[in-house]
Amino acid sequence: MSTTDTYEPSIAQSKGELLDSGEREYMLDVRTQDMEVNMGPQHPATHGVMRVLIRCDGELVTGAQPHLGYLHRCAEKIGENVEWLQYLPYTDRYDYLAAMNNNLGYSMAVEALMGIEIPRRAMMLRTICAELNRIGSHLIAIGTYGLDIGAITPFLYMFREREWMMALFEKICGARLTYSYIRIGGVFNDAPPGWLSEVEAFCDTFEVKWKEYYDLLMQNHIFVQRTANIGVISREMALDFGLTGPMLRGSNIDWDLRRDTPYELYDEIWKDKAFEIPLASGEKGTLGDTWDRAWVRVMEMMESIKIVRWCLDKVEPGPIIAEIPKTLRIPPGEAYVGIENPRGELGHYVVSDGGKIAVRCRVRGPSFANLAVLEELMPGTLLADAIAIIGSTDIVVGETDR
Amino acid sequence: MDFQVIYDRIRSIKAPGVIGCDEPREPNPEDKKDKGRFGDSFVLVEPERLPEFLECVRDDALLKFELMADLSATDPSKDDENLWINVQLLSLTHKHRLAVKCFLPKANPVMPTSAPVHRGAQWAERECGEMYGITFEGHPDPRNILLPEDWIGAPMRKDYEYPEEYHGISCK
Repeated sequence: MSTTDTYEPSIAQSKGELLDSGEREYMLDVRTQDMEVNMGPQHPATHGVMRVLIRCDGELVTGAQPHLGYLHRCAEKIGENVEWLQYLPYTDRYDYLAAMNNNLGYSMAVEALMGIEIPRRAMMLRTICAELNRIGSHLIAIGTYGLDIGAITPFLYMFREREWMMALFEKICGARLTYSYIRIGGVFNDAPPGWLSEVEAFCDTFEVKWKEYYDLLMQNHIFVQRTANIGVISREMALDFGLTGPMLRGSNIDWDLRRDTPYELYDEIWKDKAFEIPLASGEKGTLGDTWDRAWVRVMEMMESIKIVRWCLDKVEPGPIIAEIPKTLRIPPGEAYVGIENPRGELGHYVVSDGGKIAVRCRVRGPSFANLAVLEELMPGTLLADAIAIIGSTDIVVGETDR
Repeated sequence: MDFQVIYDRIRSIKAPGVIGCDEPREPNPEDKKDKGRFGDSFVLVEPERLPEFLECVRDDALLKFELMADLSATDPSKDDENLWINVQLLSLTHKHRLAVKCFLPKANPVMPTSAPVHRGAQWAERECGEMYGITFEGHPDPRNILLPEDWIGAPMRKDYEYPEEYHGISCK
């Protein structure tokens, strides 16, 4: 902790956006010393090892500087040193809350170079797993978000449902967190007998429980007071920072890769009108505030349930993986494939020279781009609101650092 | 819009710095060494004029590449003289993508920053700069982002030599 003697009220005046009610006006009259506070590297609200250097003027944040790299594990460098199939387990480990989606993104990028056709049942299983994982990821996002700002009970409720989801994954692939289930060419294991009906039972129960989360947390007066009108991201700002996923839809930008650049079966699902894209409308405060982003995530869970139900309805027996050799030699070329991860666009850029090992395996993690917005959002808010803003970006530090 | 239409438009508005384009092609059956090229098409741009190019395609009404999804670099091989700068652009208005590539000589890896055009490029360039030893001129905050401040060398280069120790910790 260090202090400086300079006092610049102009920073607060220019950056701080006062509410119409004038709630924060008194902050400008208080003469204080600037103080630098380290939030992290071990802080419960950063969900991983990340440090945010916050400059405070009393209770008012005048600057925030995220420091990353504590979890850097050289994923991209490893990608250039192991074979194509061997890299798959590493993809589990950047966004460990949505490992299925990571597997899918990497597999699709390699498949784009190979130009192979995926069996329909494999695509069904992929979609079911990716959407179930999206639900699990959003449950954590919303649950820990409530926890960060003081609501402990919903967190416990949400972990209960996530536990069921993880048990489902355990049955289909044996792992609870790092699945490596979606492989290049398909999936590695067929659904065990009775698994699909269990997924259906999960959907039935989840729809009932979802209402609980909505009432208990999203409509909770204290939660709304803590999150509305805070951390407002405007439309222009969202585009400028390259935000994707719920961060973009939270600012009412109608964009979802599943619909707009369709991959796998999503084109068919969308044409069947099986799901919608929830868009924030500024219901509880300003458009693009932290409550809006949390709301988008909560609503998306229901849409994922609808997609899973569509797949359960249509799934048929068949092969689950395309014929691929044990040692893959990928044709030379380069491909970028972006898919809709729970946090936004997960892009894989792979370059091959025709050999067994990738020349380049770039990962565009959505959390990395989404986190950059902190530098801009935090100045002008209160220190207590800083937690609400960090939580609303829903970062996974494993992915920002890779 | 598909790639050809986008490229024609880029040509017709005379977007700055465009050198050419590269499209995937099938292998030549007569030449056994030719394996063809698969994957995406991309536009080749001079690295010195990349920010101008990005601004031009962002503001053009028919292209509208308003979101920069990714900026990264590639070291194709030890013997290659150039690094690649790969930019992935996305248009939310017209729902199309564009891959942009620049060849940046390894001998002098300096290019202007794109941060004033896309604020999201600021962090991407910090990562790209530290990993490949590229200097982005005019960058507002050119510190390391994932690596420690005192890290030596550019780890993602193909000719990178692994350190033997770091602050007394053996790396062997």
